[in-house]
Amino acid sequence: MSEFDAIVVGGGPAGTSAAMRLAANKLNVLLVEKADPPGSKNVSGGVLWGNSLSGVMPDWEKTAPLERYVKSKGIGFLTKDSSIDINFRSTKFNETKTGYTVLRTKLDQFLNKKAKDAGVTVVTGVTVDRLAFEGKKVVGVEQDGDIITSDAVILAEGANPRVAIDSGIRPPLKDEDVAIGVKEVIKLPEKTINDRFNLREKEGFAGEYVLGFLDGGVEAGGFLYTNKDSISLGVVISMKHLRENNKTYSYDIVEQFKNHPSIAPLLEDGKVDEYSARMVQEGGLASIPKLYGNGYMIAGDAAGFSFSNGLILQGMNYAIASGIAAADTVVEAKAGSGISEQSLSRYEEKLMNSFVLRDMHTFKGIGDITWGSLIHQKMPGVLEKVMLGLFMEDGEPKKHVNQIVKEALKSSGLKSSKLLLEGYRMYKRM
Amino acid sequence: MKIEDRLSLLNYKIDKSYAHITVKPDICETCPDHFCTFACPAKCYTLIDAKLNFKYEDCVECGTCVVACAHGSVSWTNSKGAHGVKYKYG
Ligand SMILES: Cc1cc2nc3c(=O)[nH]c(=O)nc-3n(C[C@H](O)[C@H](O)[C@H](O)COP(=O)(O)OP(=O)(O)OC[C@H]3O[C@@H](n4cnc5c(N)ncnc54)[C@H](O)[C@@H]3O)c2cc1C
Ligand code: SF4
Ligand code: SF4
Repeated sequence: MSEFDAIVVGGGPAGTSAAMRLAANKLNVLLVEKADPPGSKNVSGGVLWGNSLSGVMPDWEKTAPLERYVKSKGIGFLTKDSSIDINFRSTKFNETKTGYTVLRTKLDQFLNKKAKDAGVTVVTGVTVDRLAFEGKKVVGVEQDGDIITSDAVILAEGANPRVAIDSGIRPPLKDEDVAIGVKEVIKLPEKTINDRFNLREKEGFAGEYVLGFLDGGVEAGGFLYTNKDSISLGVVISMKHLRENNKTYSYDIVEQFKNHPSIAPLLEDGKVDEYSARMVQEGGLASIPKLYGNGYMIAGDAAGFSFSNGLILQGMNYAIASGIAAADTVVEAKAGSGISEQSLSRYEEKLMNSFVLRDMHTFKGIGDITWGSLIHQKMPGVLEKVMLGLFMEDGEPKKHVNQIVKEALKSSGLKSSKLLLEGYRMYKRM
Repeated sequence: MKIEDRLSLLNYKIDKSYAHITVKPDICETCPDHFCTFACPAKCYTLIDAKLNFKYEDCVECGTCVVACAHGSVSWTNSKGAHGVKYKYG
């Protein structure tokens, strides 16, 4: 007899959702979290997109610690001197909220408390070392030489899945699997934020930026999200391109973003209150390991679930949805034939029927586009030239738009045939 | 803002008896790229007189260095007993 029906490793969005769902089905669950208080080691941008949390907490929009709801979504291409922005604002977002900005220490403490309230045994400040095996079957987890037994283990340990890697159930991460996320939280009065971003109370802004001004082939995306009385700002840096460059420091890139002429005024008089960093899953479908085996499943970032297309960065909603799917799989297996590799294979089927794996399949190969020189190096420059061509009054005779575009492409070295091909690829994959 | 000033904003519960990350000096000695010094966001890896110096105390446990080091020098384990970085916001 195992001590627990299920052990969940990691109390982030994936682990807490899994644990709550298991407990709601009257299972005896242990949730092990290495940080104390929970959440104090976690980093997100972060916008919590979608409504996945309703699967474990129907009233989450009223009870969870949410900063602001996304009222205004920005996309920007930044060159050294200019920015070309699209800002989409809609009253439609007032009725159906599409996303909320969150701070992870607050959110995760709340989720862990909810798990405890639901009957989960939550232990914090304890680090799981490895899975415990009997033959090929996972029978629990090992911590400081002790084995705690359970019928099933859900690994929800986040972006650097040491337990899975050290237990030999997933390969180590490679450059293509990850990006380096570096973030700052900058304090500003609520009213200043409202004025600068054209927001009312509770309304928020979420912006994604292509940092086209970085030297030496470094590719990074920037993000800027408004909290109640602070701004979360950061960069997601391609490991592969930073390695190829090998002379730019990751911690300098976020400074360059902050100092950009169109970002700096938004932060004026703000006080940096925290600096943080964490790897981001970026590999898409190619990075997903085997998701289940006899006695275990992998959920959330540990399984490589995330979505990023340069316009948006999502991971928490995938974490929550996959955690819930893993929990449901355990519940069904225990009610049916019992826990086995066969019964846990339902986990993958469930994910295939949800946005989690559907999206990963639909957007297979999108990384080639979002981490490509067209978007990061060529496009911002071309857009800048076109805009200057249109709007810079320099006393010269005016030109037709097609002439301006032609010249901008020419000076960027981009052939219009190549642009057409790349544009078509981008259009197809996005 | 200098990285040192940004790191000074953070709270840590430093584990004096356990370094959760270690490097193998003999491998670093012959390293052709020292990519860890560029990749680590907390400047834990620095070159002092062309020799790699690693200090785990400032580590924010982001996981980057174990992927960044292509030469098998980095051994990465999770911090234990709630030691290490403690974020206010995250
Ligand atoms: C800079 C940045 C910006 C991001 N922006 C966004 C965004 O705007 N929107 C979005 O949806 N996503 C965003 N993400 C991604 C998002 O943060 C992740 O996808 C999400 O946190 C994954 O949740 P998880 O539960 O799988 O893992 P995590 O949130 O990482 O949780 C894992 C938990 O497991 C614990 N743990 C790990 N190992 C052990 C162990 N051995 N024993 C016990 N406990 C352990 C950790 O302490 C942690 O609490 C961003 C990520 C970064 C780095
Ligand atoms: S840790 Fe790796 S990358 Fe850094 S100096 Fe040593 S061998 Fe080189
Ligand atoms: S885990 Fe991150 S912060 Fe810690 S040493 Fe490695 S790269 Fe630096």
